[in-house]
Amino acid sequence: MTDVSFEVSALTKAFHNNPPVLRDVSFHYAGAGAVGYLGPNGAGKTTTLKLLVGLLEPTRGHAYLNGFEAARNRKAALWDVGALIETPEPYPTLNVHEALDAVGRARGLSREDVDREVDRCHELLDLPPLGRRIGWLSKGQRQRVTLASTLMGDPHVLLLDEPTSGLDPAERVLVRRLLNGLKRDHLILMSSHQMLEVTEVCDQVIFLHHGQVLLQDRMDRVAQRIRSGQVDVEFAEPVSEAAMAPVRAAASSVVAVSERRWRLSFDGSDAARARLLGLCQMVGPVVQFANTSLVLEEAYLELIPKTPEPP
Amino acid sequence: MRRHRVSDFEHWRIVTLHQLGHYLRTNRFYGLLGFVGVISAITLASQINTGVAAVQLQQLYRSSEYLSNFLSYTGLWVILAAAFFGGDALSVDFSTGAGYYMLVQPIRRPVLLAGRYTAAVLVTLAIVGTSYGFAAVGAIYFFGAPSVQWTLLAASVGVAVLYSLAALSVAFCVSAFIRTPAAGVLITVLALYVGFATIQSAVELAGIEPWFSLYYAGGAMAAVLDTDFVHMQTIPLGQDQYYTIWIATVSEGLEIILAYIAVFLPLSAYLYQRKESTG
Repeated sequence: MTDVSFEVSALTKAFHNNPPVLRDVSFHYAGAGAVGYLGPNGAGKTTTLKLLVGLLEPTRGHAYLNGFEAARNRKAALWDVGALIETPEPYPTLNVHEALDAVGRARGLSREDVDREVDRCHELLDLPPLGRRIGWLSKGQRQRVTLASTLMGDPHVLLLDEPTSGLDPAERVLVRRLLNGLKRDHLILMSSHQMLEVTEVCDQVIFLHHGQVLLQDRMDRVAQRIRSGQVDVEFAEPVSEAAMAPVRAAASSVVAVSERRWRLSFDGSDAARARLLGLCQMVGPVVQFANTSLVLEEAYLELIPKTPEPP
Repeated sequence: MRRHRVSDFEHWRIVTLHQLGHYLRTNRFYGLLGFVGVISAITLASQINTGVAAVQLQQLYRSSEYLSNFLSYTGLWVILAAAFFGGDALSVDFSTGAGYYMLVQPIRRPVLLAGRYTAAVLVTLAIVGTSYGFAAVGAIYFFGAPSVQWTLLAASVGVAVLYSLAALSVAFCVSAFIRTPAAGVLITVLALYVGFATIQSAVELAGIEPWFSLYYAGGAMAAVLDTDFVHMQTIPLGQDQYYTIWIATVSEGLEIILAYIAVFLPLSAYLYQRKESTG
């Protein structure tokens, strides 16, 4: 794999005389991996991706893909990049193969390699029949075709804006598996509102709010930082209040969510977590302890509402 | 799998074929082609019904006169084709998701524009060619192939090609400027046909030659065939009052056409290059 990276440096974008959508945003990532780009609607995620690929021009600052600025050298910057931004629409009159063929050829594939790539994508993403016109596809099928177009020619940088929006649960699982495989030797920057998806796929996350980066860190560190000391424990059988007394003594609070499920609050340390797990196992057989998919959600909720909009 | 570096020329070819594949399956292409075909066929059929001798007399026994009259609507076909295939050629990138598909590919925007422009020129010429095809068939039928002045017809085709390039340059410029595709198509028709025709009549009333009008320059397509061509005709309206009509000479028409291409095509490229996907 060639050296891959993305970098934004002091990036600011304002439309006309409105307040900036992005304010001095800077972040950088090099090498293979997956980075989640998170924030509420209007935070500036899609704007950042558009600036990276040159669909928008920065008001100030720079956006680089593999060391090139798309605003100055589009061809070089986008050469090894697959981008899925907003809702791409291939011409509805073309069929699936023709729509993918144009992208493959534009990225330097021979006719034979385009056919091979289309077959690979067909297998990976369970594409609709290749002779079917784009205009006749369902929303999910179209989404898979456009996702396939980003993979044509196997570009090493993937910029994905809500890649699973419009997909059904089975299709989402399919895409998550695909991205988990790709991140081993590709660099993925992915914006999403699906915290489970980001948790499963990404190694690092960037939180954006009101056009400013609030946090950029590795997933495990974010988990540590945000682990406020709240876990859900689920027992195999119903557990009474009295049986939970030893756990209550060690935790700062214990709340019954259901007969078998309890929410424990503690200081967040690994030692306290281990001690609580041990105590719970003495109460009864534990089916589940903690809920990692909520870590990002907690982080999101903790970070986002606290940040006032800059003037 | 190996990816080779793609030259701008190859990108141009890829975009042209991609765009052509799209145009050739659109209703607007078949609609306009059918419309021009039907009008041309009805014209030819009615002439055949009139009879060879009558048509020869009407056209002063000259095939060039016949061709000039038959092709008098070519300017309109060019404008309609330019509006249909150029009026939204660039705006689709900023008003629909088409831009999120093609603008994120490693293709320079001027090359993207050039490919789309070439495809639009080809479909426009297919439509204009239909009209010329019927005209040629009629000329052969009424005057016989040896009497047809093929050189003049070829020259008229040449002017029609340049006129198509100019009309499409204006249409592309409109579509680089206007965000809504339907508005781009409408504005192109209004500007090139209604607007220019109205202004042309107004300035002619004032005794001014409409040298600035592309619509006026389109007259060169027929002028090149007309052996009795008159550049300026003054019609008396009453006491000391005259109305002057101008028809562009071939050289004048070509100058106007080339000026439109030289101004509007680079302007389209400039506007397209700077346009942002804000939607």
